[in-house]
Amino acid sequence: MADRSAFSPENLTANRTLFWIAAVLAALMLAPVLWILGLSLKNNQDLMHGTDAVFRAPYTLKNYADILVNSQVFGWFLNSLIVATGQTLGVLTLCSLAGYAFARLEFPFRRAIFIIVLFGLAVPEQAVIIARHQMFNWVGLHNTHIALMLPGMSSAFGVFLMTQFFNAIPKEIDEAAMLDNTSQFRIFWKVLLPLTLPAQATLGIFTFLLAWNDYWWPLISATKKEMYTLTIGIASTQTNFAQSEGLGFLSAQAIFASLPVVIVYIFFQRHIVTAVSGGAVK
Amino acid sequence: MAESYRRSRWSNALFVAPYLVVFFALLVFPLFWGMWLSLNKVDLFGGGQFIGLRNYARVLSDPVFHQAVRNTVVFVAVSVPTLVGLGLFLALALNKTTRGSSFLRGLYFSSSILSVTIVTLIWRIVFIPNDGLMALIFNVLGLEPIGFLSTKGWSLFSVGVATVWWCIGLPMMLLLAALQQIPADLYEAAALDNAGKWRVLTRITLPSIKPTIMLVAVIQIVMQFQLFGQALIMTNGGPAGSSRPIVMYIYETAFIRWDVGMGAAASELLFVIILCAAMFQYWISSRKEVA
Amino acid sequence: MSAPIEIANITKRYGALTVLEDITLHIEPGEFVVFLGPSGCGKSTLLRMIAGLEAVDGGTISLGGERIDTLPPGKRGVAMVFQSYALYPHMTVAQNMGFGLENLKTPKNEIARRVQSAAETLEIAHLLDRKPAKLSGGQRQRVAIGRAIVKEPQAFLFDEPLSNLDAALRGRTRLELAQLHQRLGATMIFVTHDQVEAMTLADRIVILNDRRIEQMGAPMEIYQRPATKFVAQFVGSPAMCFLPVTGMTDAAQGVTLDVEGAGKIEIDVRLPAGFRRDGASVGIRAEDAKVLDRGQPGIAVGVKVVERLGDRAFIYGTLDNGTEFVVEDSGRSTVASGDVIQIGFDPNALHIFDGDGRAYHHSEEA
Repeated sequence: MADRSAFSPENLTANRTLFWIAAVLAALMLAPVLWILGLSLKNNQDLMHGTDAVFRAPYTLKNYADILVNSQVFGWFLNSLIVATGQTLGVLTLCSLAGYAFARLEFPFRRAIFIIVLFGLAVPEQAVIIARHQMFNWVGLHNTHIALMLPGMSSAFGVFLMTQFFNAIPKEIDEAAMLDNTSQFRIFWKVLLPLTLPAQATLGIFTFLLAWNDYWWPLISATKKEMYTLTIGIASTQTNFAQSEGLGFLSAQAIFASLPVVIVYIFFQRHIVTAVSGGAVK
Repeated sequence: MAESYRRSRWSNALFVAPYLVVFFALLVFPLFWGMWLSLNKVDLFGGGQFIGLRNYARVLSDPVFHQAVRNTVVFVAVSVPTLVGLGLFLALALNKTTRGSSFLRGLYFSSSILSVTIVTLIWRIVFIPNDGLMALIFNVLGLEPIGFLSTKGWSLFSVGVATVWWCIGLPMMLLLAALQQIPADLYEAAALDNAGKWRVLTRITLPSIKPTIMLVAVIQIVMQFQLFGQALIMTNGGPAGSSRPIVMYIYETAFIRWDVGMGAAASELLFVIILCAAMFQYWISSRKEVA
Repeated sequence: MSAPIEIANITKRYGALTVLEDITLHIEPGEFVVFLGPSGCGKSTLLRMIAGLEAVDGGTISLGGERIDTLPPGKRGVAMVFQSYALYPHMTVAQNMGFGLENLKTPKNEIARRVQSAAETLEIAHLLDRKPAKLSGGQRQRVAIGRAIVKEPQAFLFDEPLSNLDAALRGRTRLELAQLHQRLGATMIFVTHDQVEAMTLADRIVILNDRRIEQMGAPMEIYQRPATKFVAQFVGSPAMCFLPVTGMTDAAQGVTLDVEGAGKIEIDVRLPAGFRRDGASVGIRAEDAKVLDRGQPGIAVGVKVVERLGDRAFIYGTLDNGTEFVVEDSGRSTVASGDVIQIGFDPNALHIFDGDGRAYHHSEEA
């Protein structure tokens, strides 16, 4: 069949068949989530007789009510919120200052230090976590919120990202400000920092998600039940692979725990995508 | 550039000082302290005693470690090509400005924002024997249900399925970003040159994003070598250690058995393995460039 | 409000590379000076050194009798308009214009008064509450100029401020800048690579090339009596044509030149003893040559292209020996490509260049 529509470059790259395959795969990908959502709306007793009960009424919100009553889960939720917020504020502060300096100021060994920091990008968590655990032991910081926040602030990614963002601001802006008799700190605070607000949002949301989802460090640092984050807490309630009691409650926990990040994702999808693809693609 | 206002000053370094303190205290120092620990006999109660390379010898002669390395290599060898291939397919399929495409892009990336706990919880409930979604489907099809998480071979496979489900967003997004950087006039020129879809794909699109494909592969190799949470929560490494990855071995050695020095040695070994694998991948890709 | 600028023995280096060497220049109060030169000649660097955005490696800069090259940019009493305008994107037009005064702790009502008055001068008073992103290129340009005006500086510095505007707007803004200079009477330095801007705006043009000042003078002086072959080549469009000189004998009045492709030409010019003969050449502008009527004796030119501009036409061709030549003709010219025409010119309109590139002109006092 002849294509009579006007030429568009998309005609050469797009393919209807590929798109529909992707759509079918997406449905498959969604299936487990829908399965969990269904289970979370079922009474645990109903599920004991077979999980195919999920396809039949009645449905109930009792599992979610149980979570809110269960102070443990709510406490974990608060811990996650405190840790993720604190770590995000810390990262934004440290990385904005450092990114500005690396992009705009001259100081001895600037290039060398920046390269060392970039090497930090290549250090995997498992190479430092044992020593970190020992260090926090020395100063007795385990089972505190501070201990959960601090390691994430050493990430070189934020510095790299903020340096890039500051570099993207034309130098003439600083120069105009200098001719306007602006002090160095005022240039940073009043002129450049407001211009990085979109970047701050990107890095902030990205850091928040990382902190919220962190697993290994809270697993070994927060050993007291009341210091668990949501991630660790929910993992601790799963006993073994064959567990089939309380499936409804477990499923409701999964949905409840992912709600904050899903909401953040829905509202800030663009920022998150910018963050993960930032700098990776030239 | 030596603009007068950019005179090199020590005071300027004050802006980086706060970060550098954290960076050196919590990244650089632990990195080297970890190396030192790997040369010592250390347990829960501290008390280091220098024992040279003996921790490494112990790790390297531990059959459990051998098994973990085998598991991890198999896992990486299967999951990384899957992630890159599937990511590339999705990027090509969804590189359009239509609403449907952008919705599907958002959907495919959405799983990446979940924590490992949630992902494993979802997939455990899918894979549970008798009551799981898979068991249900097998029953409907009249097949004998498989104990996905408790059968040798299937357990690592199940961990892989959950991992691909969890991680597919990043490769797709990176490749999409690369696809969108290809200038449209390249395709217009190709159209004027009478190129068909297949030739456009193989001669223009793929060569243009080749560096990104390589980058994505390296990122995924580095990430998947560090497989941990999925295996720990879904299968606890079982059955019989058949799904225990290296990081879980490190975790168990250092934080369950509190053989800190040996755990540190294993983590240094993994660090080296990852660096070698990434460099090997990089070398392969740059060598093809020359040929 | 306007002050003289004294630039004495200024040198600028980037590592081993010297960009400007021993530049000395005096600018009168209220003078409009244009730095003109090819890209990379150091004209912007010189301007940025006056502004304090580049360090000075040797020499001094003074403004109104006070040495300023040791002061930070904000303390020098100069204002600058950038090529990219460099407006603060997150501030409104009014905030952009008032920011510098705020930094000086100027009283609020004084800031408001000056911003309002500058905005009215520039006809942007209705835009004061907008952000730069909501402005057109021309409007942004005005805001950038307004930001300079409110500071009431002793000197204005312009770094190619018109190059981001489209052709029509550029012409209009050029006129407005000239009017602004008349009204403010301020010292202004303007950097450009566009010779039309230089010719129309400048009281005095400073031509920079290869680390030094090639020539300074009033626009018409530069055009009619270029000091060097470089200036002759750089100023004027189409560019001056050059013919090599192969021999030279003294004549009763001046000299007789053996010009390759054009024969012997006698010119009334006094050449000094130091004139280097090897590599000498003569130059002529298109408008100084004319197409002779058919049959008149002249220099034969084989026509390649005729460029018709309406009011006039430029005829591009080659002499017998292959040298390229341009001649201006009237807009009604009937010459077509492929023709062979005869051209002629007044020998005294020729510019003579010695082997070192120094220029000599008709009846020049040696």
